[in-house]
Amino acid sequence: MDFTFTEDQQMFAEAARSVLTAEVTADRIRDRWSTPSGLDLPLLHQMQELGLPRMLVPESLGGLGLGQADFIMMAQTCGYVACPEPIAEQVMVTAPLLVDVLDRGLGHGAVQTALDALQGGALVATGHPINPFINFAEQAEWFLLGHGEGLYLLPASEVTMKPCKSVDPSRRIAEVSFEASDAHCLAKGESGAALWRSTLNRGALGTAAQLVGLAQAMIDQSVKYTTDREQFGKAVGANQAVKHLLADVAVQIEYAKPVIYRAAYTAAISPGRADFAVSHAKVAAARAALLATRHCIQVHGAMGYTWECDLQIWVKRAWALAREWGDEGFHKNRIHEWLLRPNALLGPDLTFGRGSITDTVAA
Amino acid sequence: MKALVAVKRVVDYNVKVRAKADGSDVELNNVKMAINPFCEIAVEEAVRLKEAGTVSEVVVVSVGEKSSQEQIRTALALGADRGIHVEVEGRPEPLEIAKLLKGVVDKEQPQLVILGKQSIDGDNNQTGQMLGALANMGQGTFASEIKVDGDSLQVIREVDGGLQTLKLTLPAIVTTDLRLNEPRYASLPNIMKAKKKPLEVTNPAELGVEVKSHVTQLGVAPPPERAAGIKVEDVAQLVDKLKNEAKVIS
Repeated sequence: MDFTFTEDQQMFAEAARSVLTAEVTADRIRDRWSTPSGLDLPLLHQMQELGLPRMLVPESLGGLGLGQADFIMMAQTCGYVACPEPIAEQVMVTAPLLVDVLDRGLGHGAVQTALDALQGGALVATGHPINPFINFAEQAEWFLLGHGEGLYLLPASEVTMKPCKSVDPSRRIAEVSFEASDAHCLAKGESGAALWRSTLNRGALGTAAQLVGLAQAMIDQSVKYTTDREQFGKAVGANQAVKHLLADVAVQIEYAKPVIYRAAYTAAISPGRADFAVSHAKVAAARAALLATRHCIQVHGAMGYTWECDLQIWVKRAWALAREWGDEGFHKNRIHEWLLRPNALLGPDLTFGRGSITDTVAA
Repeated sequence: MKALVAVKRVVDYNVKVRAKADGSDVELNNVKMAINPFCEIAVEEAVRLKEAGTVSEVVVVSVGEKSSQEQIRTALALGADRGIHVEVEGRPEPLEIAKLLKGVVDKEQPQLVILGKQSIDGDNNQTGQMLGALANMGQGTFASEIKVDGDSLQVIREVDGGLQTLKLTLPAIVTTDLRLNEPRYASLPNIMKAKKKPLEVTNPAELGVEVKSHVTQLGVAPPPERAAGIKVEDVAQLVDKLKNEAKVIS
C-alpha cells in the first residue's frame, strides 16, 4: 500500500501553499480586523481563479472532480497561515453538501444556484446544528441551515443574524435564526440526518487539518524566536527546558498528521467508518494545537500573550477551532460508541477500513 | 510565432542557503527547489504574449538532471504548451547550457527566445548573451517591457540611470528583469492539464553538443558573520569615525 500523496496532490498543495504563504501574512491579517467585512476580497477572487471552490464538485456539475484527500494538505496550509477567509469550510463542507443534495435528487432550483454562486466565489454558509455560531454569516449570500434533522437552504434575505464577538478577531461570527418552512426545506428525517452526519465528518476533518497547520506554524514561530532571542549570552532555545516544550508539541503534531490523512482516506473509500476515523483525527489535532498554544506562549516569555506578538493570531484561532464541529468530549464519545459496538472490527489490518459499513456490520 | 522559454531548477528563493559542513558545495539535501524567479517571469511573459494572440505556441526547455522535469511541469501548469528536457548530469556551466539551448533553437526554430537574466544560484548572467552570440540573434537583455510589432521586437531595457529602448529584428533573444511582469500562480485545472501536455526528453548527444566542464568548484563558504556595532558618544565621534575609519565622508 502506498501511503504517500500522489504527485498531483503534492502539486495542488504546493500551488495553494505558494499563494497563501505569499498573500496571507500577519500584517495583512491585522489589516482585516479594521475592515467592515473582515474579508480580503482580492484573495477570495484569487482562490476562485485558482479553482479551489470547484475542487470537490464533480466535473458534471462544472467542478474539478477531486476528493477530500486531494484537499487535506491545503486545509492544513489554511491553518498554517491562519487564513481568516473560510476557504476550507467552503471547499470541504459547503460544496460537498450541495453536491450531496443534488446527487440525491433533493431540493429545488436554488441548490444549483447556490452551488454556482459558490463556484463563482460567493460565500455560502453552513450552519450545522453542532455549531452555535456561523463564521462570516453577514458576508454570506446563501445559508444551509439545520432544524431538527431537516436541512434548509435560504438566501441571506430570509435569515436573521445576531453578530457576536469571537475570541479570535479574525472571525466574524453570528447566531443565525430562520423560520423553518417547507418552501426552503431540502431534506427531512433520515435523509436530512444522513446529510448532516456526513457534513459533520467533513467539517471536523477540515478543522482537524487546520488545527495541525496552526500547531506547526506556532512551533515554527517559536523555534525562530527562541533561536534569535538571547539571554545570558546564548539563545534561549539552547536550554533543554525550552527545547522539551517544543519537542512535546512536535511529537503530538507528528502523531496527529497520519491520523488526519487516514481519516481523509477512510472518508473517501469507506464512509461508514468515517465517524470513528474523523473523531480520532479531531481529538488528536485539537490536542496538538492546544498544547502548542500553551507551550508556545511559554517559550515566547512575556511576549507570547501580548497583542503586538503575532503568535496571538494563531493561538486564538486554535482556541476557536478546537471547539468547532464538536469538542473533545463529543468526539471521544463517538470513538467510544464505535469501539464498544458488539461486532466492531478493530486491529491493524483494518486501520484503513475495508468495504462499506454494511460489510463491517455483517462481518 | 513560436516562443521558446528556458527555465532553470534552483533552490527556492525563500530557503536560506547553507554550505555543506565540509565546504565542498551548497547543501541541497531536503531543500525545496523551484523555478528560478527570473525564468518564471520569462514563462509569464510568453504566456501573456500567447493570450494576446501574438505567440501561437510556447515551448519550455530546461537543461539539467531528471528532477528538472518538475520545473518544466510547473511551467506547463502556468500555461506553456509543451516541454523539452535536455538531460544532463551534474551542474553545467553557462556556456554549455547556451550551446545546448542553441541545439534546441536550431531544432525548434523559434522567433522569440525568452530567458531569465540570471539564475539566483549561479548569478552568472551569461547564458542569454552567450546564446545570442551562438545563435546569431539580436538580444535585448534586462527587459522591463517588450512589444512585438510585425517582424520586429521593441524592448525597453533597465540600464544604470534609466531606460533604454531597442528595436530588434526577429528572431531575437530577450532576458527578463524583475519588473517585466508579475508571474501568476498555477491554477488547479491547469495543473491537471499540465500532466497531459507533451514533454520530450533529449540529451546533448542528440543535439550534437559535447558537454565539457572548464571550471572546477574548489569550495563554498558562508559570508563572514557581521561584527557587533558600537554606540558612539556624540555626533562629533560619529563624524570622526565615518571620516577616518569608514572613510565614507571626507
